[in-house]
Amino acid sequence: MTRLAATDLHKAFGHQSVLTGIDLDVPEGSLTAILGPSGSGKTTLLRVLAGFERADRGVVTLGDRVVEDGRHYLPPEERGIGYVPQEGALFPHLTVEKNIGFGLSRHQRGDGRIARLADMVGLAGLGERYPHQLSGGQQQRVALARALAIEPEVILLDEPFSSLDAGLRASVRADVQSVLRQAGTTALLVTHDQDEALSMADFVAVIRGGRIGQTGTPQELYEHPVDPAMAEFLGDANLINGSVEADQASTPLGTLVLRSGSARVAGPTPAVVMVRPEQVDVWPGRSGHGFAARVVDSQFHGHDTVIRVMLDAPGIDAIVARIDGGAALAPGTEVTVTVRGPVLAWPDEASTRDLTLSEPRG
Amino acid sequence: MALERSTFLVLALPGIVIALALVFFSERYIPRLYQHGPLLIVAYAILFFPLALVAVRASVAQAPIGLEEVARALGCKPWTVLWRVTFPLVAPGLAAAFCLVFLSAVTELTSTLILIPTGAQTLATQFWTYTTGQSFGAAAPYAGLMVVIAVIPSYLLGRWFNRLPAKATPTPL
Repeated sequence: MTRLAATDLHKAFGHQSVLTGIDLDVPEGSLTAILGPSGSGKTTLLRVLAGFERADRGVVTLGDRVVEDGRHYLPPEERGIGYVPQEGALFPHLTVEKNIGFGLSRHQRGDGRIARLADMVGLAGLGERYPHQLSGGQQQRVALARALAIEPEVILLDEPFSSLDAGLRASVRADVQSVLRQAGTTALLVTHDQDEALSMADFVAVIRGGRIGQTGTPQELYEHPVDPAMAEFLGDANLINGSVEADQASTPLGTLVLRSGSARVAGPTPAVVMVRPEQVDVWPGRSGHGFAARVVDSQFHGHDTVIRVMLDAPGIDAIVARIDGGAALAPGTEVTVTVRGPVLAWPDEASTRDLTLSEPRG
Repeated sequence: MALERSTFLVLALPGIVIALALVFFSERYIPRLYQHGPLLIVAYAILFFPLALVAVRASVAQAPIGLEEVARALGCKPWTVLWRVTFPLVAPGLAAAFCLVFLSAVTELTSTLILIPTGAQTLATQFWTYTTGQSFGAAAPYAGLMVVIAVIPSYLLGRWFNRLPAKATPTPL
């Protein structure tokens, strides 16, 4: 069942079109992420859904209520949507307890709900503090508890982790995810961080140029991006020019088997082939069973090593490989490269370089 | 923005310039207003507006639009937001502005001397009258009263400004 839906939403600021026909379904109880580069319109979308901005055209439904359809418009205070903005935006003149209870009636404030919420977000005992006495992560938790307190139909989170430093981000993310699951609330998260969207969400909708480019589970998106630009946006990808025929792709990295779900063509057709870096194996030295290459550079990350190699054969850019564990290799080291597993290909796709998810100009 | 800048220009002008400008203006266009209370109030408004602006501006920055939106999402009507969020955040600034302007207006002399209605006196003009007549004894109570009146808002202002840095210090956890 759909909790929150948008149909054909349009929004322009002056002559600048920001949303150009958004269709979005947020299933009940899910955590759905809107993923897009900055300037793609994702924050505007969230603001329209919350009721802070009016749409020029289109319909927003929340549960079984139409909250906006061009003629009718329900103001934010009547929508029952929880909203967690970027910086938390706690009321600085109120204590943690009063922040959490801000949206509650006097009667509701007395029933122990505030203490339960504070406990749920891991802030029990800090009720008397003021926002400035809390760390960034704690402030975000209060903002979440405050939004959950009104038992919203849907909770909207606008890049809630972007102001946190990297170390804190992972733990606050995990906490927020578990709190949302525990509360069973339908949530929509806006982010520009692929990692965040793929790791946290049940469903991801990628927004680009004011439209939803692709929707699916994180795995679907990662394995079956609709086009090369999407592939590059959702994680690292080696995009290689080759040709496909039936269920095989011929590339400078050999003949590779196409993944099920990849478009099939009968005759040989030029195509762009996607090889994820974790599908590339790099063997030290030269051996007969792969492709001879040299290391361009390598980065050791501890849990894995990212190595860029240049094939000895011409006609192909440097290939990125991600090796579990491993060690950094000196530039110029002779290696052998093989590709593991099936690959995805887009027949007849124009050069990948002009299809990047560029930010709108102007 | 331009309006805001132009108000600060007033700070650079001596009070007597503004007072004489108003005298000229009222004589020429609205003679009924000359040496009447309202004109003096206009002079005070022009003179002290920049002071009030500085104090209020700082506090308005404390109440960003994002907070008001959060409050709306939490179910508050716009006027409730004004009462529960905007006003509490802006109030200290308004109070500070009031104190600053009050303090300055009570002790203002030059414009007051020129524009005050005939027969009326402020503490400052009375004090001025007596000191120019060498009656220092008679002037003393007015000076004393001005000091007493100035102390109250100064004390409140001092407390307000002291409170801010203290509040900004995060408590380690």
